[in-house]
Amino acid sequence: MALLKNKPKTCLTLFGLLMPAVGFGQDASASSATSDSPELLLYTAMALVVIVAVLVLVVALYTLTIIKVIIRKEKVSELADQGLTYEEGPGFWARFNQKMTDAVPLEKEDAVLLDHNYDGIRELDNHLPPWWKYMFYLSIVFAVVYMLAYHVFDTLPLQEEEYQNELALASEEAEARKLLAVNELDENSVEATAVEAELANGKDIFDKSCAVCHAADGGGGVGPNLTDVYWIHGGSIGDVFKTIKYGVPQKGMIAWQATLKPTDIRDVASYILTMQGTTPASPKEPQGDPYEPGAAGQESGN
Amino acid sequence: MELEKFSYDNKIVKYFAIATVVFGIVGMLVGLTAAIQLFYPIFNFDLQYTTFGRIRPLHTNAVIFAFVGNAMFAGVYYSLQRLLKARMLSDALSWIHFWGWQLIIVAAAITLPLGFTSSKEYAELEWPIDIAIALIWVVFGINMIGTILKRRERHMYVAIWFYIATFVTVAVLHIFNSFAWPVSLFKSYSAFAGVQDALVQWWYGHNAVAFFLTTPFLGLMYYYLPKAANRPVYSYKLSIIHFWSLIFIYIWAGPHHLLYTSLPNWAQSLGVVFSIMLLAPSWGGMLNGLLTLRGAWDRVREDAVLKFMVVAVTAYGMSTFEGPMLSLKNVNAIAHFTDWIIAHVHIGGLGWNGFLTFGMLYWMIPRIYGTKLFSDKLANFHFWIGTLGIIFYALPLYWAGITQSLMWKQFTEDGFLQYPNFLETVTQIVPMYMLRAVGGLLYIIGVLVMAYNLVKTAYAGKLIANEPAEAPALEKREIVGGHWHAVLERKPIIFTSLALVAILIGGVIEFVPAFLIKSNVPTIASVKPYTPLELHGRDIYIREGCNTCHSQMVRPFREETERYGEYSKAGEFVYDHPFLWGSKRTGPDLHRVGAKYPDSWHFNHMLDPTSMSPGSIMPPYPWLFEQQVDADLTPAMISALRHVGVPYEEGFEDEANALMSKQAALIATNLKKDGIEIAPEAEIIALIAYLQRLGTDIKVKGVANQNVSSTQEGGN
Repeated sequence: MALLKNKPKTCLTLFGLLMPAVGFGQDASASSATSDSPELLLYTAMALVVIVAVLVLVVALYTLTIIKVIIRKEKVSELADQGLTYEEGPGFWARFNQKMTDAVPLEKEDAVLLDHNYDGIRELDNHLPPWWKYMFYLSIVFAVVYMLAYHVFDTLPLQEEEYQNELALASEEAEARKLLAVNELDENSVEATAVEAELANGKDIFDKSCAVCHAADGGGGVGPNLTDVYWIHGGSIGDVFKTIKYGVPQKGMIAWQATLKPTDIRDVASYILTMQGTTPASPKEPQGDPYEPGAAGQESGN
Repeated sequence: MELEKFSYDNKIVKYFAIATVVFGIVGMLVGLTAAIQLFYPIFNFDLQYTTFGRIRPLHTNAVIFAFVGNAMFAGVYYSLQRLLKARMLSDALSWIHFWGWQLIIVAAAITLPLGFTSSKEYAELEWPIDIAIALIWVVFGINMIGTILKRRERHMYVAIWFYIATFVTVAVLHIFNSFAWPVSLFKSYSAFAGVQDALVQWWYGHNAVAFFLTTPFLGLMYYYLPKAANRPVYSYKLSIIHFWSLIFIYIWAGPHHLLYTSLPNWAQSLGVVFSIMLLAPSWGGMLNGLLTLRGAWDRVREDAVLKFMVVAVTAYGMSTFEGPMLSLKNVNAIAHFTDWIIAHVHIGGLGWNGFLTFGMLYWMIPRIYGTKLFSDKLANFHFWIGTLGIIFYALPLYWAGITQSLMWKQFTEDGFLQYPNFLETVTQIVPMYMLRAVGGLLYIIGVLVMAYNLVKTAYAGKLIANEPAEAPALEKREIVGGHWHAVLERKPIIFTSLALVAILIGGVIEFVPAFLIKSNVPTIASVKPYTPLELHGRDIYIREGCNTCHSQMVRPFREETERYGEYSKAGEFVYDHPFLWGSKRTGPDLHRVGAKYPDSWHFNHMLDPTSMSPGSIMPPYPWLFEQQVDADLTPAMISALRHVGVPYEEGFEDEANALMSKQAALIATNLKKDGIEIAPEAEIIALIAYLQRLGTDIKVKGVANQNVSSTQEGGN
């Protein structure tokens, strides 16, 4: 997906139209496949294998046709020696078609022509095509088995159970991540960052997700002003982290913990604190209490 | 035997054919407009009457009931008379049918842009028009059955079986799904609520496709294809088996539109298995059509009429294969709510209905005008540009649907949604929307060329208004024996009754338990009826057609509960008359939007969606800020809802408006805090009240929300 996104739109458009199959392959793999990754190599190798396989198939078919022609030639001359002429039987496709439809041949169809005539329309009484008939039977068997499996023997999970399984898997994965302790960062342990790249990341997130309510310069709008010293839910890095993480649903502040990684929340919280004391274009009136950095008790007392 | 002289009525055929072409062009142009709005939102000219939410239903109604409907009537009136060797029962009924149907279409074209809608898909028209549809449909039925009864042909041909099934089933579907309690002349509330309303609606919606778009056109195929190919129909046996299995099985399959919703599991499973069993009966029709062309394929290359029919039948085969596949739950989990479904229905609509109609018109119009088609070249051009149009329409949407669905479901390695902002998944597919509009444009160009070709043909000939014919009268004598089915073909009344029984069984078995057994919709004590202001907001939501782009149904998938909140429960919708689950997510789901954003967010967003969601393709709704809620209507709304089962106390009508002013004032004050001045009577206030209520009745205990409640307790 990421790969697709980076392409110009027109390119994507053409790509999508012309090469759906190739595109899907990328969809699935693109999140991790970069130009020199082993995955790309794997796909290239697989593509090569497919191409070779197709070539082999074409050659084999071609050889087969030649052999067939030779055999027929021999037969014709053999029969000619005995004074007979060679008569070709129906080809593979014709025989296949005949077998699939079980149709009365065109030249003999008078035998199954019904005697009705509706405004010139006649009807034949051909057999049901066998493949169609068996497909119908099979679908009925499928239906019975499906109902039994889901509703009588309860062997397959219905949607609620499926959902619980999905959640269980996700929490297993989350546990595994916790063991790796990559993202062990919360409102108690967070410290404001001053690393330029991390602040830049914070600004990116702010512009994308926060600016619509708090204004790009932090002056506020739907949400409160972030540049003054007044804070509704506390102005320490821990407080800001917490407000972003859990949100304040009753006032319309969204909880971002399902969307942003802890490090992302730290970055954006840190970026917000760098706005302190700046002068926005149209500042919203102060809301909440003034916060003094370092003052005792305010860290936890929100 | 003495030959009776009579004549076929071609004039009525001509009128229906003209209506087909005219409304076809109109309906498709409206569709093109809607398609353009998806990448160029301001293409509604900032008018409330032309927003996507209002013209999308206009498009679907126009192409289904005006274009395909008139085509069906033109085809039936032409073929029925000839297959029965009889003129229509009554010319008067024919003309009442014609003008009645056109008036209904005009009424739809006026009321839908005005926002008079029931919100139920393909049944949006309000109750007075619904009654008119029922009456006119019965007129059509009497005229058809009457003609059958006075026929000069002993047996009914397979085309007529399909016409009969169409008539009885559409009547049953339309009447049952339209049950509603009127509030005013152009406003009503569905008699059913929530899960049950959804079940009835999609029983109707699915079978509208089956019995308005499929069975009548199979009937037309059985007449026009053998006529055009001059070949006998391939298999009588196949006709019988696929006809009865098709109409019996089709009716059960409706719940496949509601997979992974709050519909009880057993009903969903029935929808799945009957959809799978539907594949063979559907393909029976395709096979009988294609195999009829045995020995005529060389002519298909040259004859535009046959080419149209071959592609139509093939498109029918493709979409009836795709349908059962989409009904498998694992495929449906990907495709549902995306543009994949839009592509799917257009293969059926543009390919099957459109192309069969075109083939039929090219064959029939020269014949009723006693001349040859004006230009075979133009007809061939129409064929190729139409085919190209279908490809350019469908492929981008398949691509868009799958892309968007995969983006919705994509998690990062850290266990977060890769695209938490819904809008990202929309802007990604906007180029596909553009391509789709190109496809639609190509298709319309083809139709315009056809219109020109047909008009030229008509002017070249002269309408044979009453085409003379002769046939011996049907002898009154008992015939015994013959093929068992041939006996039925001689007895139209018994045949019609049997068809009715066949189509009632599935519906009855699905509805009765869903309505009577309590455990199907477990009640939730905390779910309460809407307040008067919220009701007005809900009516605005319906009027603006918000449900055409926004679902209200969070499915039990991790990606959805992460994105939207706890999945939707059946008990939450018990006061939803009508249900508003939606069927397409052009925008995000709204079932848990309540209390998610501040009031001022909604205010700004409705005034200019791009202010809160830069890049959004939702149009602005400035009129909601000028128009006022009609408080005079409140008592009637409350009383109508009480009639359909919402437990408002007696006398609540009298205090409703006071309550409403109080809630509106609260929201207005709330907005004032954020520096927004607005009259509490403005429609936007009601809409905000409704949106803020959505999905908040149950205390949610999801994973994502446990921490939320702990912060609340932690105090602010």
